[in-house]
Amino acid sequence: MSDEPPDPLARLGDRIDKARAERVQRQPTAISPSTTQHGLGLGLRIGIELVVAIGVATGLGWAIDRWFGTRPWGIVVLFFFGVAAGMLNVYRAVTGITAPVGYRQPNEGDSQAPAVKDKWDDDEN
Amino acid sequence: MAIELHPLEQFAIERIIPIHIGGLDLSFTNAALMMTIAIVLVTGLTVFATRAAALVPGRWQSVAEMLYEFVGDMIDTNIGHGGRQFFPFIFTLFTFILFANLLGMIPYSYTTTSQIIVTFALAAVVFILVTTVGIIRHGFHFLSLFVPSGVPKVLLLLLVPIELLSYFIRPFTLSIRLFANMLAGHTMLAIFGGFAASVGFFAFFPTAIDVLLVGLEFLVAVLQAYVFAILTCLYLGEALHLH
Repeated sequence: MSDEPPDPLARLGDRIDKARAERVQRQPTAISPSTTQHGLGLGLRIGIELVVAIGVATGLGWAIDRWFGTRPWGIVVLFFFGVAAGMLNVYRAVTGITAPVGYRQPNEGDSQAPAVKDKWDDDEN
Repeated sequence: MAIELHPLEQFAIERIIPIHIGGLDLSFTNAALMMTIAIVLVTGLTVFATRAAALVPGRWQSVAEMLYEFVGDMIDTNIGHGGRQFFPFIFTLFTFILFANLLGMIPYSYTTTSQIIVTFALAAVVFILVTTVGIIRHGFHFLSLFVPSGVPKVLLLLLVPIELLSYFIRPFTLSIRLFANMLAGHTMLAIFGGFAASVGFFAFFPTAIDVLLVGLEFLVAVLQAYVFAILTCLYLGEALHLH
């Protein structure tokens, strides 16, 4: 973006348009797996993601409470973090974005101009 | 005669050759035996099948070539550029889990992947490799993985722990997925087998279910090896191509 519009609102609109276009490009390949094998693999993958995230986070919270004597706050806070992390993982698995926020999984073989990605590493949330 | 049902008995570890060194129990167990067999079979297949490599592949050579191409395609589509350097690792991982799973389908054998310590060791290796690759490739910048950019600073307080958690949970999801699938499937087979043995005349029904379950278990055995390998690819690809 060498010729940036001076108006911040226009720039924002520009960014939103671009992010939307990128998402539309990505969606079809990510949502509809080409083979049944891929679909089955995906299904089995996400099944356990949420449960394990909550379990591990809650266990960690319990351990923190034991070590630091902060009962019950560690377990309460980390339970919710676990829920959030689990949902995040499931969401990423489903949309084909396994990477953390903004890092797109190169499913399409890096075909979409990597130059754009530098500016658009935050289009997820 | 009363038939005793122990669906979990099949997972018991037995020491075949007891080895104790300095208070450590390093015995050669039935699990270790099955892992050795899996490794020997994989090595045997790849070495034997490509020994007399022909332009028109024979039966064994095509099996080896199919495996090779399958893993190669998986790496190309999921890691992309620079993924081929991890081919030996992914291939080893995939074939080992595949053979361990399939060997477990042979009656009276032992399913090593139903032991969480085995799957966790594999997942831990993957996790350490991915993190190391990321740090070597990107150095300190690798930590940007946990900091979503373009987010208000206040929100980062909330998001960074979530990102960290979802990253460090990976070895657990990876290992528990494989272990739980194998454990549950084989337990179910044993339970229905036990039903068949205990209900006498009506044994037809549980046996029929068992037959169906065996088919399902073969599917799960292959699919779980595939899932494990593909997730390793995805994680590696992400560590390689941060930006």
